[in-house]
Amino acid sequence: MSYIVSTAALGLTDGGGSRGNDSSPEQNGQAPTAHPQVVENEEDEDEEMTLKYGAKHVIMLFVPVTLCMVVVVATIKSVGFYTKNDGQRLIYTPFPEETDTVAQRAVNSILNATIMITVIIVMTLVLVLLYKYRCYKVIQGWLFLSSLLLLFFFSYIYLKEVFKTYNVAMDYFTLAIIVWNFGVVGMMCIHWKGPLRLQQAYLIMISALMALVFIKYLPEWTAWLILAVISVYDLLAVLCPKGPLRILVETAQERNEPIFPALIYSSTMVWLVNMADIERPNRNSAEVGLPQQNTHGAVASPAPASPSPDDGGFTSTWINQQQHQLGPLQSTEETRREIQQMPSARPPVEDDDEERGVKLGLGDFIFYSMLVGKASATASEDWNTTLACFVAILIGLCLTLLLLAIFKKALPALPISIFFGLVFYFATDNLVRPFMDKLALHQFYV
Amino acid sequence: MNLERLPNEEKLGLCRKYYLCGFACLPFLWLVNVVWFFREAFRKPAYTEQTQMKTYVKRSALGLLFWFTVLTTWITIFQHFRAQWGAVGDYLSFTIPLGTP
Repeated sequence: MSYIVSTAALGLTDGGGSRGNDSSPEQNGQAPTAHPQVVENEEDEDEEMTLKYGAKHVIMLFVPVTLCMVVVVATIKSVGFYTKNDGQRLIYTPFPEETDTVAQRAVNSILNATIMITVIIVMTLVLVLLYKYRCYKVIQGWLFLSSLLLLFFFSYIYLKEVFKTYNVAMDYFTLAIIVWNFGVVGMMCIHWKGPLRLQQAYLIMISALMALVFIKYLPEWTAWLILAVISVYDLLAVLCPKGPLRILVETAQERNEPIFPALIYSSTMVWLVNMADIERPNRNSAEVGLPQQNTHGAVASPAPASPSPDDGGFTSTWINQQQHQLGPLQSTEETRREIQQMPSARPPVEDDDEERGVKLGLGDFIFYSMLVGKASATASEDWNTTLACFVAILIGLCLTLLLLAIFKKALPALPISIFFGLVFYFATDNLVRPFMDKLALHQFYV
Repeated sequence: MNLERLPNEEKLGLCRKYYLCGFACLPFLWLVNVVWFFREAFRKPAYTEQTQMKTYVKRSALGLLFWFTVLTTWITIFQHFRAQWGAVGDYLSFTIPLGTP
């Protein structure tokens, strides 16, 4: 579902010309002379860039993913609400898992997972269609409402549970101020303009909130099944030629417009500072050119001013899942998924520095955190399993980024990490724990 | 959003918008304004829009201070006297702690 997109890679594969400068910084001063030399140097530059690019970006993605997981695990461990089974379920998982026989439970969970995945697929298709037929307003409105709901409603619930857990009195006035501030500043940072760090922090927080909702409302076997199936779906949707996400990326590339300010976490890095200076005259002209393009083209750039790829949206439609308490659900997870699945924006020419950043869809954050959170909630051997899953996910992320650097095109970020995570979870829970227990029992130190 | 790459007028515009929106009971927004534009307004070498930006940042800081004092006083009063207020205290409370106060 989510992409890891190397913006630089996209840039390299697409807008050839304007990118040409980037890859050979040392030649900016010279006239483009002997062609073969230039090409060769560019290739060397590319290779160097790939390597430099890979390592730093891996680290830069580790931090937010880790933070998100830490928040989720900390909440799961301390606030009982999210692990308590209230008997409430989402509308998408109507089959209960408290059944008499194991077979019945298995069947129910398979049915639940199937329903969920079907809904997700349908929503992805709807989104791709909307995008193809240029119904940008609809999509934007949808995203806006979703993020609104997520930032206000879910954080309200979260605060309530945290206060209850710590037995703190809170009055309505202070609470209103807190939630109002949090929500409005969040909306501004994510959908409009705000400091990068704050935007990243908000995206992490809403991913964590969403993961917590999932952990609470998805029954066990369903959750694991869904994780597995979603990874497979992600793989297919991104890599198959007819996959909806692939179509989305290609359409966006054809139209030469940034893909939504949606649900993408961007770890921008000021990499080529020299480039920035040298590029400034180019950039200014590009800036001048770009607004004109934007007004001409049918591109409804979601961000009002600059189509900055930093505008992450949120996969907020998930919030709607909470609405089983309130009424019929609308566009929910699916919408979100789709949104998440939308590849990151191709950066406009002016954002040279930002293009060097790697973008990771928020859905990835959510599912990684969900895996680790579920592991910490339900595993019998507390921290071993959680840590094992955590390490597995990070390793998967490294590998995915490595592949990204090699292939230089949009890749699904879920499959490898989730696969490793699942393997480690079940292996640790079922094999390592009894082993450790036995060892401890016999006082045998390995 | 990287401030480095914005032209000065846009920076000023952004600072101004943050300042004005903060009047909608948004001290957090003023805090963001102060922290984000502090270096721009006070540490960078002077440019034309900077004086205006300085006033915005200063006023945001003042507003922030005002809200901070109001909120701290209210919270202190509430936490201290909540139990004594009886029914009114409960009515005002969003979460009521268990156990005896």
